[in-house]
Amino acid sequence: MVLPDFGFYQPISVKDAIDLLMQKPNAAAMAGGTDLLVEMKNGIRRSENLVSLAKIPEMKFIKEDVKNLFIGACTTHSEVIASPLIGKFAPALVEAASKIGSNQIRNTGTIGGNICTAASCCDSAPILLALNASVEIAGTENIRVVPLRDFFTFNKKTILKKGELVTRIIVPKSEPGIGACYEKFGLREAGSIAVVSVAAKVQLVNDICVDACIVIGAVAPTPKISGQATTVLKGKKVSEFAEDLPLLEEAGNAAVRDSIPIDDIRGGAQYRRDVLKVLVKRTIRRAFELAVNNEK
Amino acid sequence: MKSPTLNPSPTREALTPYSLVGEAGHGRWDIKNELQKTKMKQLISINVNGDEYEVAVRVTTTLLDLLREELKLTGTKKGCELGDCGACTVIMDGKAVNACLVLAVDSVGKKVETIESLATGGELHPIQRAFVEKGAIQCGYCTPGMIMRTKSILDKNPNPTKKEIKEELSGNLCRCTGYTKIVEAIETARDYLNGKQPVELVFMPQKSAIDLSVVGKRLPKIDAADKATGRALYTDDITLPNMIYGKLLLSSVPHARILSIDTSRAKVLPGVKVVLTGADVPDVRWGTSPPRYDETILAKDKVRFVGDVVAAVAAIDEETCYRALDLIKVEYEELQAVFDPMEAMKDDAPRLFDDKYENNINTHVDHHFGDIEKGFAEADYIREERFTGNRTYQNPMEPHCSIAEWDNHGRVTLHTSTQVVHYVHHQISHILGIPLGDIRVIMTNCGGGFGAKASTTTIEVMSIFLSRVAGCAVKMRFSREEMYLFGRGRHKQYIDLKIGVKNDGTITAVKQKAVLEGGAYSSFGIVSTYYAGSMLPTLYKFPNYKYDGYRVNTNLPPCGAFRGHGCPHPRFAFESLLTMIADDIGMDSIDIRLKNAMTPEYHTCNDLDIHSCEFKACIEKVRQKSDWDLKKGKLPRGRGIGIGCGGFVSGAGYPIYRSKFPHSSVTIKIIEDGSRAVIFIGDADIGQGSDTVLAMAACEAMGISYDRISVVSADSDLTPIGFGAYSSRVTLMGGNAAKMAGEEVKKQVIAQAAEIMKVEAFMLDAKDNRIYLKKDPSTFIPWEKAGFEHFSKKGPLLGKGHYSPPEGLGGKYKGAAVGTSPAYSFSATICEVEVDMETGKVKVLNFWDAHDCGTAVNPMLVEGQTEGAVLMGMSEVLFENEVFDKRGKMINADLHNYLIATSADMPEIQSTIVDSYEPAGPYGAKEVGEGATLPILGAIANAVADAIGVRIFELPITPQTVLEAIHGIDKRQDKMK
Repeated sequence: MVLPDFGFYQPISVKDAIDLLMQKPNAAAMAGGTDLLVEMKNGIRRSENLVSLAKIPEMKFIKEDVKNLFIGACTTHSEVIASPLIGKFAPALVEAASKIGSNQIRNTGTIGGNICTAASCCDSAPILLALNASVEIAGTENIRVVPLRDFFTFNKKTILKKGELVTRIIVPKSEPGIGACYEKFGLREAGSIAVVSVAAKVQLVNDICVDACIVIGAVAPTPKISGQATTVLKGKKVSEFAEDLPLLEEAGNAAVRDSIPIDDIRGGAQYRRDVLKVLVKRTIRRAFELAVNNEK
Repeated sequence: MKSPTLNPSPTREALTPYSLVGEAGHGRWDIKNELQKTKMKQLISINVNGDEYEVAVRVTTTLLDLLREELKLTGTKKGCELGDCGACTVIMDGKAVNACLVLAVDSVGKKVETIESLATGGELHPIQRAFVEKGAIQCGYCTPGMIMRTKSILDKNPNPTKKEIKEELSGNLCRCTGYTKIVEAIETARDYLNGKQPVELVFMPQKSAIDLSVVGKRLPKIDAADKATGRALYTDDITLPNMIYGKLLLSSVPHARILSIDTSRAKVLPGVKVVLTGADVPDVRWGTSPPRYDETILAKDKVRFVGDVVAAVAAIDEETCYRALDLIKVEYEELQAVFDPMEAMKDDAPRLFDDKYENNINTHVDHHFGDIEKGFAEADYIREERFTGNRTYQNPMEPHCSIAEWDNHGRVTLHTSTQVVHYVHHQISHILGIPLGDIRVIMTNCGGGFGAKASTTTIEVMSIFLSRVAGCAVKMRFSREEMYLFGRGRHKQYIDLKIGVKNDGTITAVKQKAVLEGGAYSSFGIVSTYYAGSMLPTLYKFPNYKYDGYRVNTNLPPCGAFRGHGCPHPRFAFESLLTMIADDIGMDSIDIRLKNAMTPEYHTCNDLDIHSCEFKACIEKVRQKSDWDLKKGKLPRGRGIGIGCGGFVSGAGYPIYRSKFPHSSVTIKIIEDGSRAVIFIGDADIGQGSDTVLAMAACEAMGISYDRISVVSADSDLTPIGFGAYSSRVTLMGGNAAKMAGEEVKKQVIAQAAEIMKVEAFMLDAKDNRIYLKKDPSTFIPWEKAGFEHFSKKGPLLGKGHYSPPEGLGGKYKGAAVGTSPAYSFSATICEVEVDMETGKVKVLNFWDAHDCGTAVNPMLVEGQTEGAVLMGMSEVLFENEVFDKRGKMINADLHNYLIATSADMPEIQSTIVDSYEPAGPYGAKEVGEGATLPILGAIANAVADAIGVRIFELPITPQTVLEAIHGIDKRQDKMK
């Protein structure tokens, strides 16, 4: 097993990276390389030129302002996990990042890479979607900020155009009354791909759910916000979501209606629906618990 | 956390807007651009283990290849190359990374630590010491990565809990140990590093080992320190002068006639030395079992599966090989393929072989012992069910690798990663038509086998052919995908099993029909088919037995011998059905087993002779340790407990080909001054520890201590014949040979001592490096004094030993040889699981197992085998299955999609070795390696059934199958006609 030939560039600024991506034929940006190099070795991907983002300081940082966290796209999963800022203002993102691959993969793979690979089973996107994150995209012309919910177009496809790079991820900080969490269902205890994943965010004001977002992963071509499940939650009381209550069941069913799962070696479509429903219920209950604790 | 403003290293990158590291090539292997030199290298500086290196690398060079190929730091291992196994774990800037997924050019300016940095001045690092002492090292291939990962865990968190260790370690796969001893070693290392003395293990020797000095002790493996430091050489770690590389062109279609092969473009590619196709090699049939030699060296006219070997190339490096392979044009006329054995047996099915195997039935076994009609007529209760196994692969952590080189005398030397030096030796002799004397086979360290390396491989054969034409050494290695495609994993079996019992649980008759999905070629298959039937009567007594076995060829990779060889699926079926019957007739699962359990000195219905047998003790032990009587039937829904039992041969009674050679042999040479023995062992240590076990047996026999012996093993020029590591044979057979050789040395050294001490030889004995008067042990001379004197007066002090099983084992019927053995092992396992009733996910919580392996020569190694077998068996039951697309191409041929258990999946395992003594074995020893696998499958199936209240008949038991069972969906196929 060998890597096929490619031209390799290590720009030190975003602008240079973009220039290279524009100039070099069939060029791809590489962050940690944990997906890309595997695809290259397997012969699935044939990029003639790789533009490494590893040496661009302006893509590797974790910052904040009053409302948001800003995470450089080349921040590794391990750096996300270790960040006190993220731990304080987006703990569910830490939870999701810690479920990615192995320690070795998390030390190399990046949050931006995870999003841009755009696998429907990717672990960071569902919780970022639930938290209403945005991505900052730099291109030749301008820099634009796009809500993550508008970023994915299909399995392994995004809105990124030639010469565009995701430079940072903007995550709204958690506020009192918000509870969010991520559940992944894999076939073994560690290092497995999500068969189904669910992220949930709820916001409570006086025990009423004023805002919610349920995101389902690995059950559609992209990680997907379940509009129907979200609707079930909004405006309801926390107590209506106790175990075995019809509303919780309804939220699960709603998420299933929003899913379009496929059969693959990890599970059949119907099985994915069954597990999705269970995971949605569990995630909602846990998100509410977190929200209740966070409200106090 | 790292500083948000990462410093750009003050190298050339800072001077230019971007650094151009390598110019682009075009396409993957496009011939048009061959002349455009894309191989330009870049000089980089990298700090490895504190030393600054300047190395020229290509942009495509990974950190792993930089370390191994350029810096010759071969301690870091290559296991999967895709970031799934962790064998290549190194620490980069304080963090563990998979070196296979880091580009060398991306590691400029970084600090890399590898396994070679740990031991200082000959002193093992505390982590290495802990791994050695705790028995955490078997084949050793995952060890360097494990140890580096451990260092990064403990560097970050000096006090991890067991749970944290299990989670943190989950990116490092191990196939041998079951992780139990590795986790123990990490806890011990943690204590060492914190200045604490770890808790000493309280160890009670077995009764049969109480009077022994070396055998029966928990001693570290003789090769453990070498493996812990990365010094142990595996074949891929060897680079010979003027060595080139070889690769195989594998068929991309499942079944086709080859119309033409055009190698002209490949041959002219710069760097290519040899290109061979079927037309260039002798028309010899080879394989594993002589009655079924059906493989060609390279495909002659036909290919029979995706992965069949069509051509081979040798070139200056692997990349050039791959380029050349892409330039070989093969024109196929595709034939209809068949992947399902039931379909393949039909009259109108496409045939894989035109001249043999009618209806694609490669082997048919028709056995009938006792009177099956009468047996079922006597039964009060009869139940019959269909069980289906899964197609699984051994997945040793080390990919196969071979290096061949011919010398100027027409003699070839093969370095190879094998379990069976002699069978490779024999097969190469058969293929080349030259005597054994013209071939030398050297086994290097072997990174696990489990059957995957138990017969000759295509790279062993082809490296020899390529090397002969090239006139230099040729190295060939499999990628992980090529390993799966070479195959030889477990046959998937479709089993119809019928058992009749009396009201008191006594088994009156057993009828089994097994269809084995065999893949394209025979490999071990004929033996597998016999084993699938022959071992059932060794565990429980029943007088009437009928077995129909069919091995069917399909257009898939050939199946072979995988730990437990042919027996695990029938045993899974039997243990499942026996528990179902017990439930049906209102009997406890353990009681029905005790009712029928094998006892010593029993002649089975299929003419196998059981001698030592402590099976009932095993069952009683696990019943007690698991609190079975408190738990069975009393656990809440979603929790379950189940029992499974098993056992295996302690070495096959007959060799794979007809041969009069001893099955194992050993020589011992005493170093001239008497200070040390060197033992030359023909058998193969593939990680299971046979070098250690045989050295221990020899030490015991000679009367010297374990620190006074060194081992040379598995080199056909240096060591006498040993059939190798398969059929769980080495402890008993090799052990007997080692003991015999040791006794021969002892006899001579005592004779010499008698002269020195001026007494009669019969008055003396040797033990613990002393030769002493039996009547007065305080009167002694040092062992080495007598050894030295012997050499000075009589020349070399040598011992030789050999072992062959007793003649005439087994019955007279066709196939009676399979299943014969000098001794049989027995074991029982109880498993406790928790099932998520909403998702179907099974979590195995506990295993309590007990083994009758006779005298455990080294109890720590026995535990290593049983813990490894538990985890491997669990992994097979819960996760593993080879999946193929409609065109016969395997779609999960990697460790990302073919999942094997990680440390995070590891249950608590409590192993017990019961008191037992096998007269045929050395110091009473018999096998444990394969027998330990057999109870696991049924135990988990029974525990899951207990937890969910529904039986699952098919492996693997995935969350989906469990949930479907809970929901009442029965997807079983119709019963076999």
